[in-house]
Amino acid sequence: MLSYIIRRILMAIPLLLGITIVSFAIMKLAPGDPASLMMDPTISPEDKARFMERYGLNDPIHIQYLKWLGAMLQGDFGTSLIRKGVPVIEMIMNRMPNTILLMVVSTLLAMLISIPFGVISATRPYSKLDYTVTVTSFLGVATPNFFLGLILIMVFAVQNNLFPTGGVATLNAPFSLWDRIHHLIMPAFVLAAADMAGLTRYTRSSMMEVIKQDYMRTARAKGFKENKVIYKHGLRNGLIPVITIFGLMIPSFIGGAVIVEKIFTWPGIGLLFVDSAFQRDYPVLMGLTVISAVFVVIGNLIADILYAIFDPRIEY
Amino acid sequence: MKLRKASWLLISLTLILSIFLTACTGNQAEDPKETPGDDGTKEEEQASGPQQGGDLIIGSTGAPTVFNPLYSTDTSSSDIEGFIYDSLVSSDTEFNPTMSMAESIDISEDGLTFTAKLKKGIKWHDGEEFTADDVVFTFSIPKNPDYNGERGSAFEAMESVTKVDDYTVEFKLSKKDASFYPVSLSYFILPEHILKDVPVAELGEHEFNTKSPIGTGPFKFVEWKDGEYVKVEAFDDYFKGRPYLDTLTYKIVPDMDAMIAQIQAGDIHFAAGVPGTDIETVKSFPGVKVESGLGLSYTYLGYNQKNDLFKDKKVRQAITHAIDREAIVSSVMNGDGKVAHVPESPLSFAYNEDVPKFEFDVEKAKSLLAEAGWKDSDGDGILDKDGKKFSFTVKTNQGNKVREDIVVVLQEQLKEVGIEAKPEIVEWSAFIEQISAPNWNYDALVLGWSLSTFPDQYDIFHTSQMEEGLNFVWYSNPEADKLMEEAKQILDQDEYKAAYADIYKMLAEDQPYTFLYYPNVHRVMPANLEGYVFHAKDDFYDISKWWLKK
Repeated sequence: MLSYIIRRILMAIPLLLGITIVSFAIMKLAPGDPASLMMDPTISPEDKARFMERYGLNDPIHIQYLKWLGAMLQGDFGTSLIRKGVPVIEMIMNRMPNTILLMVVSTLLAMLISIPFGVISATRPYSKLDYTVTVTSFLGVATPNFFLGLILIMVFAVQNNLFPTGGVATLNAPFSLWDRIHHLIMPAFVLAAADMAGLTRYTRSSMMEVIKQDYMRTARAKGFKENKVIYKHGLRNGLIPVITIFGLMIPSFIGGAVIVEKIFTWPGIGLLFVDSAFQRDYPVLMGLTVISAVFVVIGNLIADILYAIFDPRIEY
Repeated sequence: MKLRKASWLLISLTLILSIFLTACTGNQAEDPKETPGDDGTKEEEQASGPQQGGDLIIGSTGAPTVFNPLYSTDTSSSDIEGFIYDSLVSSDTEFNPTMSMAESIDISEDGLTFTAKLKKGIKWHDGEEFTADDVVFTFSIPKNPDYNGERGSAFEAMESVTKVDDYTVEFKLSKKDASFYPVSLSYFILPEHILKDVPVAELGEHEFNTKSPIGTGPFKFVEWKDGEYVKVEAFDDYFKGRPYLDTLTYKIVPDMDAMIAQIQAGDIHFAAGVPGTDIETVKSFPGVKVESGLGLSYTYLGYNQKNDLFKDKKVRQAITHAIDREAIVSSVMNGDGKVAHVPESPLSFAYNEDVPKFEFDVEKAKSLLAEAGWKDSDGDGILDKDGKKFSFTVKTNQGNKVREDIVVVLQEQLKEVGIEAKPEIVEWSAFIEQISAPNWNYDALVLGWSLSTFPDQYDIFHTSQMEEGLNFVWYSNPEADKLMEEAKQILDQDEYKAAYADIYKMLAEDQPYTFLYYPNVHRVMPANLEGYVFHAKDDFYDISKWWLKK
C-alpha cells in the first residue's frame, strides 16, 4: 500500500510539470500583455517598454518558463505584475480560506442532501418519490451554475431581500457568525447543486446494487428491522464508491468556484483567477495553476487510496 | 413530507436571520438604504444645513492596484488616491486650474520658472506638517534615474525642483510646456518624512503604497481587503475642513450586472460609469437618483492608413458621409450622447465647432467614392478598383454593448454605398495588442478616447507618434504637426485656443477618424445625497463637501 502511494506521488511530478508547461505556453501565446492595458496617452511608449523589460516579458518563452520554474522550485512564486510588489503567494493565501470555506460547506451540503435522497429512492425504486428525486437531480445537472446563481440572486436577494447579493460579510458591520453564514448559504447551495444531482444518482445506483446482495437477504432473514438492514448493512457498503468520488469532485469544485465566486462576488481564488486572466497577470495565473493542479492530483490520489482502503477486492 | 419540513425550517431560519440582521443595521439611521422611505418628512426644519455623519458605499467594477500616484495606472487606484492625497493645483468644473495646497503659482516672463507658494498649516494624516520638502521630494522621484514607474513623461520638461523656503518651491523647465501647470502640478504629493529613506528603485513596491498610505487629503486610509473593498475615514484636520461623511467604502464588484443588482438591493449607494443602456432601469429603483452629464470623452471610427483603402482623404470623408451618426446616437444609444465633429469635448475651453462637417448624405458619399475611382464594375453591389473590392473588417472591444452594436449598424449603413464592413469583436487586452505598435493588425476600429482636462492632441495625431505611440492609425499631416508642436509652447489660454482652432479644422478636414459621438456619463447616488457637483472628469469632485440628508 505504502509503495503504491509513493509510486503515485512520484508519478504526479511529471504530470504537474506537464501541466505547468502547457499552461505557461497557452498563457503566453494568447494575445495581449499587461503593458497593453495601460492605454493612456499620458504614459509614454518608452515607459511601457521599460515595464516589459523590467519584468523580463520580452525574453523568449522558454527562458521565461525556466526562470519561473527555477524560482518556483525554491518556493518563490514571484510578485504580481498588476499589484506591484505584492507576492503571488500572499495574494493566493489571502483568498484561499474563502474558497476552502465555500468548498467544504458546499461539499457537506451536497452530502447531507443527496445521500439520504439517494438511499430513499433506492429503497423505493420506480415510486413517485423516486421519480421526483430523479427529475430534480436531472434538473440540477442540467441547470448551469451561473443561471441558478442569477435566479437565486434575483429572487432571494434583490426582490425579497432575504439574502445578501454577494460578498462574505456585511460592510461596515461588526463581525458576526450569523452574518457570515447568511452570506455563505446561496453560493454554497449553487456550488453544491450540480454535485448533489450526480451524488444522488450515484448513491441510488450503488444502493440498488447493494440491496440485491445476498448478505442483505441474510440480514433480513435473521429478523433485523428493514431500516437497520438498509442503513447499517446496506449503506456502509453502498457508500464505498460514493466516498471515493469525493476526491474526483475536487476539480469540479475548483471549476465551479470560478463561476460561483464571480456571480456572488465571493473573494476567493476563483475570482482572483478570472481577474488575473483579464489583466494578464502571468505570475498570479501560474501560481493559481500550480495550486489547483496540486489540488486535482491530491484529489485523485485520495480517491484511489480510499478505494483501496474500502474495497478489499482491489489489490495493488 | 421531509422535504417540506426542511424547506420550512430553511425559510424560518432565514427569516430569523434577516430579522437579526436588520436589527443590527437598523440603528444606523444615516445608512442611506434605510432612509429613502421617510426622506425629508419630519426632520425638514432641522435639515437646512449640511449634516455630519454617514457611510457611503461606492461600487466599482475595477480593483485598485497601488495607492501611489507616481506608480498607479488604473482608474480605481486614482479614485482612491483622490480620497487620500491632495495636490498643489486641481481643476474646477470648467477644467480651469484652481489652487489646492498651493497658495499661488507665479510664472516667469519666459515661462520657464514656476514658483509655488504653499498654504500653511496643512497636516499629514499622521499629524506632521506639510512643507516644501514634501513637494521637492515628490517631484524629484520621477527625475531620479532609478525611477521605474510609468509616469516619467509628465515630468519631462521639468529640469529641477528646489526649495526656496519652507513654503516656497521653485520649478525650472528646460523648455516651455503648456501642460506643466494644469497636468504636472496636479500630481498628488507624497510625504517626505515617511518615504525619504526608501531607495527610489524600491519605492514602487514599497508597502507604504498598499498597506499604509498617508496623505493630506480629506480621508484617511483604514483598510484594504483584497478583492473586497478599500475603506477610508474622514480626516478631522483636513485643511479644507473635515468631510461631512464619516467613511467611504470602495467596494469591488466583478461586473456591471452585479453592480446593478447590488444598487437595487441597497448594498451599493454610489456608482459611476453605469452604461446609458441600463440607466432607465436604475432610475426606477427606490431611494436612488441619477445625475448625468456630457463626459469628457469621444468615440470614433479610426482607419488604418497603412491600408491602401484608406490612404485617400476623399474616401475617409465619403465614409463619414455614409454614416448616419444621428441615428447611431438616437437608436443605439437611446439619445444618450451628442454627435461629434472634432477630437475634443464641447466641455473644453479649446472646443471649436467651426470645422468642416461631413453630414449624413449617401449621394455625396457615392460621388466622392466615384471621384476616388471606386465603382461597382462587376455588379455584385460592392465597389471595386483595380480588381480589389472595397471590403474591410471593423474591430472593436468585447464587453462594450454600445460599440458592439455600432459595428453592426456600420455594416448596414456602409452597405448602402457599396462598402462591405465586417464586424469583429475582440477581447480588450488582445484587441489593444492587435491594433497598436508594432502590429497595427486591423483595417478599421471603433474605440473611444477619454480626454485630459487640458487639451493636447500631440500624442494621438502627431507623425512622430506613429511608429511607437498612440497614432496607430498612421495619420500624418506636416502642417498639423507643426501647429501641434508650436501649441506646446503657448502658455496663454486664448492663444492656445486659437492655435487649436486651426488644428481641429485640419483634423476634421482630413478625417483620420470619423468622430462618432460624445457619450454622456451617469452617476447613481442615494436620493438624499447633497452637496454633489457634477464634474465631467472627476466622479468624486469635492467629495469632502458631500453629505447625507437625514
